[in-house]
Amino acid sequence: MSRIFQWKGHAYLALPARFYLALVFLFACYHKIMDPGAFAVDVATYQILPLSLVNLMAIILPWIELAAGVLLLVGFRTRAAALLISAMMLVFTVAIVIALAKGLDMSCGCFASQGANEDPISARTIVRDLGWLLLSIYVLLFDRNPLGVDGWIMRRESIRSEG
Amino acid sequence: MRGIASTDSASNRDQGLLRSLWLASRDAVLIASACALVALVFNFFRADGIALIQRSEYQILVPCPVTEGAVEAIEAEALKPEEPRTLLIDARPSGDYQKWHVAGAINITYDYLEPTEPKKIQSIAASGARRVVVYGDGENPDSGEQLAKEIAGKGIRNVSYVVGGFNELNKSLSSRGEP
Repeated sequence: MSRIFQWKGHAYLALPARFYLALVFLFACYHKIMDPGAFAVDVATYQILPLSLVNLMAIILPWIELAAGVLLLVGFRTRAAALLISAMMLVFTVAIVIALAKGLDMSCGCFASQGANEDPISARTIVRDLGWLLLSIYVLLFDRNPLGVDGWIMRRESIRSEG
Repeated sequence: MRGIASTDSASNRDQGLLRSLWLASRDAVLIASACALVALVFNFFRADGIALIQRSEYQILVPCPVTEGAVEAIEAEALKPEEPRTLLIDARPSGDYQKWHVAGAINITYDYLEPTEPKKIQSIAASGARRVVVYGDGENPDSGEQLAKEIAGKGIRNVSYVVGGFNELNKSLSSRGEP
């Protein structure tokens, strides 16, 4: 088990995973920030949150997605960003499972406010979200930041301490 | 000696991981809080900002799940109401059913927005009928055909509907001198 954790290849595998997740979340937050009203309707359609929390969720969540995407892209506070993405993916997956269990025929609202006909939620959506959840956990646990602000700061500090 | 050293290094690694996860959690909370603040301020100043708390329900349209089964379309002339173990169902509103219905038919009104009550489906299953024939308003879409598909989708076998609905059935039965 420890060999798996110590394998140096993780740093290079986690890097494309990090960039991929960053792009997914930057792409996902765009329409939500541009049209909070439409995203609020998407949130309400899940029928999970009480009405009083729907708008707050629709206002705040896209900005957390934006921050997590930007932080992953530049490699600053990478683990915190990966943790945020893991938490969001977990919440999204549970929400989709609940919606499917209720038999709701709806769009997931992940990337655009579409009707159920264009982008309906399905088992495939759950598998996709679980894939992103696993990727974010992988980045959280194994990213060594070979490229990014965190890595640059660490290298600078180690040079300073050696000097 | 080597075993003790490797145990120590594993323990140090675990502690390092836990510490970094703890720091990541702390940072994540700080980032999320900062995002919430920025989001609320931005929403306050933007022209198309939305209310923090929604007062009225959103008009969401989520189609009901469709459970449709295979049904057979039959012509009104082919229907023999007196056939044993055939259950006739009138899918029209109860007012229309009261005005006219085929002798022996029961009324289960088809609702385009709500699924049929499970106890009504159970009553069909419990009737012991070998064949279920539904007739409706004969419109497009025909409530009889819709109800037949719904019933078949819920596990009732051998379900048919009368093409043209009650109008065709009324004409056909009248020409045959039946009620």
